[in-house]
Amino acid sequence: MAGFLARRLGAAAVAALLSSLAVFLLMRAVPGDIVGQMLGQSGGDRAAEEALRSFFGLDRPLIAQFGDWVGATLQGDLGRSWYQGRPVSLMVWEAFLVTLELAVATLLLATLIGVPLGVVAGIAQGTRLDGAIQSFNLVGLSAPVFWLGLMLLVGTSAALDWSPPFAWSGPGEDLADNISILILPVLSLAVLQAAAYSQFVRGLMIEELGKDYIRAGRAKGLTPAELYFKHALSNVMIPLVTFMGLILVQILGGVVVIESLFSLPGLGRLILAGIQGRDYPVVQGALFFVVIIATTINLVVDLLYGLLDPRLKP
Amino acid sequence: MTAWRLGLVLAGFFAVLIVAPGWVAQQSPFDLDPARALQPPSAAHWFGTDDVGRDVFARVIHGTRITLGLVTASLLIATVIGGGLGIVAGFAGRWFDLAAGRFADMVQTFPPIIAGVMITGVLGPGAANLVLALAVIYVPTFFRIGRSAALAEAQLTYVEASRAAGFAEASILLRQVLPNVLPVLVLQFVIMFPLALQIEAALGFLGLGVVPPAPDWGAILEQGKNFILVAWWMSLWPGLFVLLSAAAMTLLGQGLREKFGR
Repeated sequence: MAGFLARRLGAAAVAALLSSLAVFLLMRAVPGDIVGQMLGQSGGDRAAEEALRSFFGLDRPLIAQFGDWVGATLQGDLGRSWYQGRPVSLMVWEAFLVTLELAVATLLLATLIGVPLGVVAGIAQGTRLDGAIQSFNLVGLSAPVFWLGLMLLVGTSAALDWSPPFAWSGPGEDLADNISILILPVLSLAVLQAAAYSQFVRGLMIEELGKDYIRAGRAKGLTPAELYFKHALSNVMIPLVTFMGLILVQILGGVVVIESLFSLPGLGRLILAGIQGRDYPVVQGALFFVVIIATTINLVVDLLYGLLDPRLKP
Repeated sequence: MTAWRLGLVLAGFFAVLIVAPGWVAQQSPFDLDPARALQPPSAAHWFGTDDVGRDVFARVIHGTRITLGLVTASLLIATVIGGGLGIVAGFAGRWFDLAAGRFADMVQTFPPIIAGVMITGVLGPGAANLVLALAVIYVPTFFRIGRSAALAEAQLTYVEASRAAGFAEASILLRQVLPNVLPVLVLQFVIMFPLALQIEAALGFLGLGVVPPAPDWGAILEQGKNFILVAWWMSLWPGLFVLLSAAAMTLLGQGLREKFGR
């Protein structure tokens, strides 16, 4: 187990370092940096340009710039935003809390909708009910998340004469406001993930219900409820956990567009604004954070997998 | 099997739009006329008009070729490069396999859309950058698929037999392994298409896609979002077309998978 963990951690660290390097190089490989943006069209004052570049450390060799970033990051210091002057780690953390709330609410809702739908569709395979659920899955998986958000905005505004507030307030400030801001973003994200869940669980159920032990159980006289929920469902739990991790990573990505649509101050918006403003420390720090989170989720899923299924213990 | 047929019908519909958009939508997707801005759907403008008075129906129909074309181009590049490298890595192994595997790991540490935002955000909007971003995102997927397929293939007896018969490695790879791995890559292309389409649309929606006034679906949605509460028709139709074409490819993918028997 320890060996497995060490190997996985090592591979994850290498991937995180390489991806940070890729972000670093990509941002510096294209023309236009913060100095260019600050001086704008008026540029031409060479002295000011050089002074600013050296202020931001952009005149130093790339390898030294990257080395400094890695060194500071390992000590927990992600630097300061070039625009706001605030510590990047603080900005990332604040944005993460917003994204986390969005992601957890989405995951909960998607699980609550998707898993029962999948179980029902699997049991009722081939019936009209199964067909209806599969149609929902197809639409849910095919509809762009942000488009669902737009349509929900139109729908609630037309039917209920209601639109979500535009100024963000956290759950600690004003819970009612917080919920009314998040309800549409969560709904639009959850439809896609519920459909993914439902599709996945349906396949698992069908596979599980075709196995011999189910037939044996049926012959033995177990009730359908016992068969489905006690036996089949408990075997389906293991791949379900893996899938939950996958969904969480997907939500983490999906929030970029949704945050931009509903103006939520989450990680996605932070990254987008950072890239557009060439605020290198913010982009570098926020992306590093996302990579760490995504990698951790994958690692935890792998470990859980081993715990839930003793046969897989390395 | 009805699902497969529905997929074919939808795909046929989009194929017509790609081949002859002007035949379906007579009006120009670019002609603006402020006098008829933001009109709801009518007999003259089936999908309504946008904020500068362009016909939304014409824009959406002409956008089919742009949006689906960009996704197709990106995935083709990813299939050729990723699949090709994967086959070589799986067949030849050693250091190349290791290096390419690390690269694939690195790209896949990012959630796909975030990688897309990063690449197009830094390089700037434009069709070429969009295709590049999508291709980079999906190269690892095809690399892994090609690699595992080639790995499995390389262990079969016929490869051993060809080697014993004195065929050159390159010839075994090209003439025997490649044709057997190709169907797997084609299937993967169809499966990835709806996913890549979602990302293409999302990047367009964020303003990181094609340059205006090209009627890319994501770009139309981006433009429509500012008028969402006064002109829902600017957003409804392009999104619906994304939905339908993604559904078509999903259905085709399911059908193909059944035909392949896996």
